[in-house]
Amino acid sequence: MARVKFLCDAERCIECNACVTACKNEHEIPWGINRRRVVTINDGTPGERSISVACMHCSDAPCMAVCPVDCFYQTDDGIVLHSKDLCIGCGYCFYACPFGAPQYPQAGNFGSRGKMDKCTFCAGGPEETHSNAEFSKYGRNRIAEGRLPLCAEMCSTKALLAGDGDTVSDIYRERVVARGFGTGAWGWGTAYEQKGGN
Amino acid sequence: MLTRFFAALLLILPLLAAPASAQQAPASDRSSTGGAQTLEDILARQAGQSVESDFRREAIGNPGGGAGLSSQLGTLGGASDAEMFRALRYNAADIIASNNGPAADVLIQDTGMFWLTFRSGPLKTWGGLFLLFTIGAIAVFWLLRGKIRIDGEKTGRTILRFNSLERFAHWTMALSFILLGITGLVSLFGRLYIIPVFGKEAFATLALYSKWVHNNVAWAFMLGLIMAFVFWVVHNIPNRADLYWMSKGGGLFSKGVHPPAKKFNAGQKVIFWSTILMGASISLTGLALLFPFEINLFAKTFGMINAVGLPGLVGMEALPTILAPHTEMQLAQAWHAIMAFVLMAIIIAHIYLGSVGMEGAYDAMGSGEVEEQWAKEHHSIWYAEEKAKQAEQGANSGVPAE
Amino acid sequence: MLRKKTNGVARRPQRTGFHPTSTDTTVDRRTFLRGSGLAIGGLAALSATGGTVTPAKAANISLGAIETVKSVCTHCSVGCTVVAERTNGVWIGQEPAWDSPFNLGAHCAKGASVREHAHGERRLKYPMKKVNGEWVRLSWEQAIDEIGDQMLNIRDESGPDSVYWLGSAKHSNEQAYLFRKFAAYWGTNNVDHQARICHSTTVAGVANTWGYGAMTNSFNDIHNSQAIFMIGSNAAEAHPVSLQHILKAKEQNNAPVIVCDPRFTRTAAHADEYVRFRPGTDVALVWGILWHVFENGWEDKEFIRTRVWGMDQIQEEVARWTPEETERVTGVPGSQLRRVAHTLANNRPGTVIWCMGGTQHTTGNNNTRAYCVLQLALGNMGTSGGGTNIFRGHDNVQGATDLGVLSHTLPGYYGLSGGAWAHWARVWGEDLDWLKGQFQTVTAADGKEKNLMNLKGIPVSRWIDGILEEADNMDQPNNVRAMVLWGHAPNSQTRMTEMKTAMEKLDMLVVIDPYPTVSAVLHDRTDGVYLLPASTQFETYGSITASNRSFQWRDQVVEPLFESLPDHVIIGKFANKFGFADRLFRNIEMDDHETPNVESTTRELNSGLWTIGYTGQSPERIKLHMANQHTFDRTTLRANGGPCDGDYYGMPWPCWGTPEMRHPGTPNLYDMSKSVAEGGLTFRARFGVERDGDNLLAEGVYSVGSEIKDGYPEFTMQMLMDLGWDGDLTAEERAAIDAVAGPKTNWKTDLSGGIQRVAIKHGCAPFGNAKARAVVWTFPDPVPLHREPLYTTRRDLVEDYPTYPDRHDYRLPTLYASIQEKDFSQDYPIILTSGRLVEYEGGGDETRSNPWLAELQQDMFVEINTRDANNLGIRDGAQVWVEGPEGGKVKVMAMVTERVGAGVAFMPFHFGGHFQGEDQRSKYPDGADPYVLGESTNTAQTYGYDSVTQMQETKATLCKISAA
Repeated sequence: MARVKFLCDAERCIECNACVTACKNEHEIPWGINRRRVVTINDGTPGERSISVACMHCSDAPCMAVCPVDCFYQTDDGIVLHSKDLCIGCGYCFYACPFGAPQYPQAGNFGSRGKMDKCTFCAGGPEETHSNAEFSKYGRNRIAEGRLPLCAEMCSTKALLAGDGDTVSDIYRERVVARGFGTGAWGWGTAYEQKGGN
Repeated sequence: MLTRFFAALLLILPLLAAPASAQQAPASDRSSTGGAQTLEDILARQAGQSVESDFRREAIGNPGGGAGLSSQLGTLGGASDAEMFRALRYNAADIIASNNGPAADVLIQDTGMFWLTFRSGPLKTWGGLFLLFTIGAIAVFWLLRGKIRIDGEKTGRTILRFNSLERFAHWTMALSFILLGITGLVSLFGRLYIIPVFGKEAFATLALYSKWVHNNVAWAFMLGLIMAFVFWVVHNIPNRADLYWMSKGGGLFSKGVHPPAKKFNAGQKVIFWSTILMGASISLTGLALLFPFEINLFAKTFGMINAVGLPGLVGMEALPTILAPHTEMQLAQAWHAIMAFVLMAIIIAHIYLGSVGMEGAYDAMGSGEVEEQWAKEHHSIWYAEEKAKQAEQGANSGVPAE
Repeated sequence: MLRKKTNGVARRPQRTGFHPTSTDTTVDRRTFLRGSGLAIGGLAALSATGGTVTPAKAANISLGAIETVKSVCTHCSVGCTVVAERTNGVWIGQEPAWDSPFNLGAHCAKGASVREHAHGERRLKYPMKKVNGEWVRLSWEQAIDEIGDQMLNIRDESGPDSVYWLGSAKHSNEQAYLFRKFAAYWGTNNVDHQARICHSTTVAGVANTWGYGAMTNSFNDIHNSQAIFMIGSNAAEAHPVSLQHILKAKEQNNAPVIVCDPRFTRTAAHADEYVRFRPGTDVALVWGILWHVFENGWEDKEFIRTRVWGMDQIQEEVARWTPEETERVTGVPGSQLRRVAHTLANNRPGTVIWCMGGTQHTTGNNNTRAYCVLQLALGNMGTSGGGTNIFRGHDNVQGATDLGVLSHTLPGYYGLSGGAWAHWARVWGEDLDWLKGQFQTVTAADGKEKNLMNLKGIPVSRWIDGILEEADNMDQPNNVRAMVLWGHAPNSQTRMTEMKTAMEKLDMLVVIDPYPTVSAVLHDRTDGVYLLPASTQFETYGSITASNRSFQWRDQVVEPLFESLPDHVIIGKFANKFGFADRLFRNIEMDDHETPNVESTTRELNSGLWTIGYTGQSPERIKLHMANQHTFDRTTLRANGGPCDGDYYGMPWPCWGTPEMRHPGTPNLYDMSKSVAEGGLTFRARFGVERDGDNLLAEGVYSVGSEIKDGYPEFTMQMLMDLGWDGDLTAEERAAIDAVAGPKTNWKTDLSGGIQRVAIKHGCAPFGNAKARAVVWTFPDPVPLHREPLYTTRRDLVEDYPTYPDRHDYRLPTLYASIQEKDFSQDYPIILTSGRLVEYEGGGDETRSNPWLAELQQDMFVEINTRDANNLGIRDGAQVWVEGPEGGKVKVMAMVTERVGAGVAFMPFHFGGHFQGEDQRSKYPDGADPYVLGESTNTAQTYGYDSVTQMQETKATLCKISAA
């Protein structure tokens, strides 16, 4: 069965931030919330590399395990989604998440964080598909339209790949072979294989 | 690394020692693979055991010492890609992020898994059992000893033990603590016991209010805590009388035995100090949780612990003093909960003695006036002092002779 | 587990997941993936074509059906297609444009957020004017009347040249063409646009080397490169989508990527070899590389013999650039340059890419010619995978340049000669004498009457001096008194302190732009400032020319926002006000009394730009290409079947002859391996047939199928007659030719296109078949020379490599030696250079007003090397003052990094709204201030202009940095 995955190819990522703005554009994300971010390693020195990070939709998702109100669920495609109606904004998923994916409106102040917001793999949420409620809470539901996440679709150098894990790894393997060398596919170990964090 | 944090917790909470240490795989010799992981490591990991990962954590190359810009392929840097990704994996890489949210520049943190397994496993299990055990113990004590009565003849006269301000402090602390305890337990056990019964929607609402109460009542508790400390700290400095009181077991377990005590007897002093210390500890970690990523306590604390050489004493390596912001939050939550459980247990005992457990004790915090006989028996020294004061006052007031 | 809510109402079949097992699928995984980035992510797949499947998006935030509209991103010249989803006139979504051969669905941060244009929260909403320091709203009629009347007064008092029309690279082709024509009808050559401060040195340098001043190949053609040599280009931030093609070559061909830049850019981070050299020493660096090439005989001798003139003179100069001397000047070790030379020699064909890092210098034209010479020496010209891939800046800067929004030429690089005017008068059906009458006539020094219509106007880079310079020192009678900044960010220009003075000295300042821009706030004027809201290109339609010379068509996505109007309508309004509308639009159909029809305008420009083959791209053909993008190959750009079969995508100019001729366009310039009819070409015979007794025509080489088996000059009617080919002309063509100048008529002036048609019929290039000239004898430095920047730290090199003596050009005196002779290196020890951030564009008024982008870059900063920072006691993130030698200073945040070398500081140029420490946010009209403001690097940037094109120097000046 298909299992969706994100893959960011650090050899190709040029930190153009298209994924970030594409996400904001598609889901009308307000200032201050970053479902996706680009991190750069060794900035300005030899070996500089960039990676685009968002929710990796882990197989064994820590956020799901830790949530006190159990507001997460995983689709048949392995997409990790949550219900903003249930979320109490306790922030535990953020402490548990290996990738810092969960985001909160007005973080901080007396723990009065709003409902958690995170990457949905453009698969909306528990609300009725394509309803206004779904759009306003979780953004567009592209998966239901047979489309993949816009961040990956619009990636300027096709560094960010999203979709059926098998296809994604095929494409990546193809590149690594062509290059004759390869970076590990970033984050896969933590997100999809290991159960523990070790 | 994390195994070490939690080993630190074990050190404080021996209860947990058993389950966790069972998972530690024997350290293997990696010379055969030139320091890379060995078959044992792989097998151990497959067996679900935790493998000490320093051998990988340290193998992150040296980006700084990269090939010079002007040398061939210089731009590929001085770390192999594998090394670079390990550096990321263990937060040893120099990172900037496109947005500046909290902890945005931590690319990957893997302590979360330990924290959540600790929270959903040992913390729930042992914490819960500990509370039940305490309640059970008290029940047994009550059955054996029954209500502690006033032995002597009641005088019918009362004497002021706690003034209104003291009582206000006590009740602020007491009520807020009960609320905090309950709401805390709700958020910890709700998913386990409430959701199956009432469903998610109902519990979400409950949890939301619990969180609100927990976050706001916390301030009342801290206020009460401070007042209580100010009012009573002088009366709670231990002295010789306490030793004698202790030796007699406070007379709790034998009828008619009443070791002398000042305003507070040793037992009460224990409760006072544990409330103050644990309360403070809970408040601090609580604040850290209220203001995420702004108050980082544990790196410093571990530093001090190391300085004292405590880990060494129990044959452990020094505790880590560089922690990811997430880890700080995780430890804050874990410690907050552990302390809360211990304090709850103590307070339950306190509530028992202060109410149904002992005749006449409740009045001390109720009306504030206690039966003189009760005072004679339980706080003889203090009673004497008070009487002396009164006599003095009486004399000064100059009662006309007949 | 949570379940999805549903109202039970039957909806169109939806896919809950996309694994094949999922029951209710409208698209199976295969079709699904074909329509996705994954299909393109694969290397092999990249070259495959084929339609995509995009199921209609359910009406989730709107009612009614969703229409898809194709436009083109307005942020850079790569020409990424934007697929907009619109419903009820509302722009609700952006989808990846898989079909576009240029971007294959990709976008950068800017392209992925263009939908914000339709929100336009911080846009200039209606015409405004400043009255006693307050912004007052006006109606369009009022505004045009007031502005028009004042302009007519100025015209009467000081002549038409006292009004400066500053155009834009954001115009569509039609708007750009009308803008230049409009200026001509107003009667001035004081018209120019950003190309002047962008790639003017490229256009001049490259065109004078082999004929045309444009990118010779295409982004897609880089797939065929065996080596990629980038100098002064940070494509990863300036043209991110181009990296898709570059990295493909890097991966598939194992093509080494060599990046030469003073700064370790994000592009350098992906290079195989990074060469850090001292700013302003490009020529020295290239000669240093060529030294190894010639030393080892790695040059392509046959190519040079047959297709290059003057390489011997180059060799003489290069011989001076021994590894030692090169290292002394550039700071690059000889060993590295030998390696670079060897890599380039062993991996042919290689392409050379350059951008502003090479052009924006006082020696810009030398740099660009040196790059060309490098390619000529290696024999990498005129071949797929080679060429000089010059990435242009703005989305339509190529088009605006071709259409002559320039002070030194009419559309199509015809120049300003009498002949040029005659040609255009003919095209416009205009009375040449009336046109002459529109211009001012002056008596020159030699006492002769001179019409200013033939005199180069003041360039963008110097409009400040047009206002401040003593009138007696200028070649026009009076100073500039009214400025029209039409789609121009003043903070992209140097010397902003003087600019402020200039703006305050003006009678009137008119800003026509979707945003107020820095022009609205820089000065302290209390009156005489007008802001007119222009529409963005998403609110109108028309054609544009991408960097690779391909045409694309934009459809209108949304109606003009607020009270904004498209540029061509505003031109119409002014033309009506000035009373020459019916002359200006004589041959153009009008949608209404002030709206020239766009397609009709395209046809008029088609009928006149013969020089560069802008003639074959009729609106119909361009639209056909846009509609059938998926039929074009993603590497060759050639349509494989379909309605455009055989055409190259966007008909890259030259697309010879009339549209009826169906020339496919020329994908790679000067490529002799194809026949001219198939898009092949030779070097242009532009510089005569012989020089110093040498033959300037090609030696026995010619494009495939040429009936003339040798070099030949450009075609004229006379030549056709001599060859006996004039028989092939139709009666109409012959009539048209006779009407022009009979036998003297040439391929550029023949309005029928007959000469071009016949030449191509016989396999010949209309513009001849000549050698490229490595030595441009018409330029101040015939052989490109290294000259120290005006402001340099290397006083020891000033004697050996002095700059030019002061010059007088473009109506103005220009200083060189008199600046360089002063030594500033003591007080201003750090070299200051500037550049690009991926989130922002140009002056940044547009992008800093887009919250999705602005959030990503909230602070203006200066990059300082760790060493300098420590010496100056500056910490990362601290506020510092950066002061230029002319006194302009900016207060910015320090970013301490190894990205810049020791002794070099870098600042991005997109910020504005702060001036020398003062926050000017309050000066913007309410609600029209960008989200992010900051100091402009150009406040500290200094004087310095290219010796040929007046390009400004922004990459090599000096500064001093101190903690604030």
